[in-house]
Amino acid sequence: MGILENKFDDNIIVEKLDKLLSWSRSTSPWFFQFGLACCAIEMMAAAASRHDLMRIGIIPRSSPRQADVMIVAGTVTMKMALRVKKLYEQMANPKYVVAMGSCATSGGPYWQHGYHVLKGVDIVIPVDVYVPGCPPRPEALIEGLLRLQEQILEERPLTRKTG
Amino acid sequence: MSEDKEKMISEAVEKALQGDMDAINNIEDRITRSKAKAALAKAKRTRKTEEASSEESEISEAKVEEKLNFSQNVCKKIAEKFPESIDKEQNKDWIQLKPENWLEIAKWLKSNESLYFDSLQCNTGLDLGEGILESRYNLHSMKHLHKIEIRIKVSVEKPDIPSVEEVWRVADWFERETYDMFGINFIGHRDLRRILLPDDWEGWPLRKDYEEQETYHGIVVPKVKEGWE
Repeated sequence: MGILENKFDDNIIVEKLDKLLSWSRSTSPWFFQFGLACCAIEMMAAAASRHDLMRIGIIPRSSPRQADVMIVAGTVTMKMALRVKKLYEQMANPKYVVAMGSCATSGGPYWQHGYHVLKGVDIVIPVDVYVPGCPPRPEALIEGLLRLQEQILEERPLTRKTG
Repeated sequence: MSEDKEKMISEAVEKALQGDMDAINNIEDRITRSKAKAALAKAKRTRKTEEASSEESEISEAKVEEKLNFSQNVCKKIAEKFPESIDKEQNKDWIQLKPENWLEIAKWLKSNESLYFDSLQCNTGLDLGEGILESRYNLHSMKHLHKIEIRIKVSVEKPDIPSVEEVWRVADWFERETYDMFGINFIGHRDLRRILLPDDWEGWPLRKDYEEQETYHGIVVPKVKEGWE
C-alpha cells in the first residue's frame, strides 16, 4: 500500500510515525459520492445536517482521485459493475470500500432471480466493511464508518509486511 | 281556500300552459290571481327539468353504446381501408392486426379527422408462449378523447414489425425497450439499440425460454445461487 510500505525496519520513531499516519488517515476518510439506488438517499441523509458525517471527519468528494473511501450504496447491476470497478481503480491508495445495504453485500432481493444484478460487490472489488439493511438507516452507515475508522487505526502503513 | 277557488286556479294554469295567459289575467280576485301565477311558474319549472332529464338520459345511453362499440367501429373502418390486415380472431375490446401494413394503418389512424389518434400512450411486449410474441399499442386521441388498443402477433422465428417511431415520436424508446426485452425487430426504426441492458448482452430476458449467459466480461452470472460461491 503506497510507496512507503516495507521501506522501514521496526524502531521507536517509525512506530510512532506509523501511529500518527494511521490516526490522521482514520480521522479524515473522505468518501466518494455516488449512489446507485435507494441506499443513496440514506447516505445523503447521513451526510446532511441531522446526522452530520462531517463531525467524524468524513466529507463527500465528487472525484475518485480525491476520495479514500468508496461507499457502494445500492444495487450493482452487471452494466454498472464494470464502471464501479473502473472507478475503484481510479482511486488513489490507500483506498477502502464500504458495501452499504443488502444489494451491495449479496444481491439482496435479486439473490435468486435477478439475472442482471451482481450478487455482491465483493465479486469485483475488495470490501472492508459490510453494512446490512434494506436500506440501512444513517445510524447504521455511521456505525459502519466508525468500524472502518477502527480498522484504519490498527494499520501500520510503514512497518506492515505484506506478501 | 275553498275548493272552488282551487279548481279555478288549476283550470287557469292549464289554459295558461297551453298559451292562453288571459285565463289567469281575467281572475278578478287579486289573491287568487297571484296564487295562480305562482302555480303556473312552478308547473313550468317542473316541466322543464323533466324534459331536460329525459333528453340527457337518451344522450348518455347513446354515448355508452357508442363507447362500447367504438373499438369494433374503428375495426370496421380499418377493414374498409385495409381489408388484408385484419387478423381473423377479434375481440370487442381490442383490434388484432397483421404486422404487414401496420405503418400505413398507423399513419392513417393519426391523420384521419374522425379518429385522430395523436397520442401513443404505451407499447408493451408479451411472450404468449408456443413461439408467439405480441406487441400491444394503446392509442388515445387528445381531440376526441377516445382510445383503442391494437395488438400485433408475430412468430419467434421472424419477429418483424414495422416501426411506428416516425408516426409517434414517443415510440422511439418504447420500441427500444420492447426490442431489449423480447427481441422484436422494429423494421425502419432509426436507432434500434438496447436501452436498459448493456449493448453486448446476450439473449432476450423476458422471453419464456430465456437462459442467462454464463459470464459477462469475466463476471459470473449465477443461474442458481445454491452451491455457488
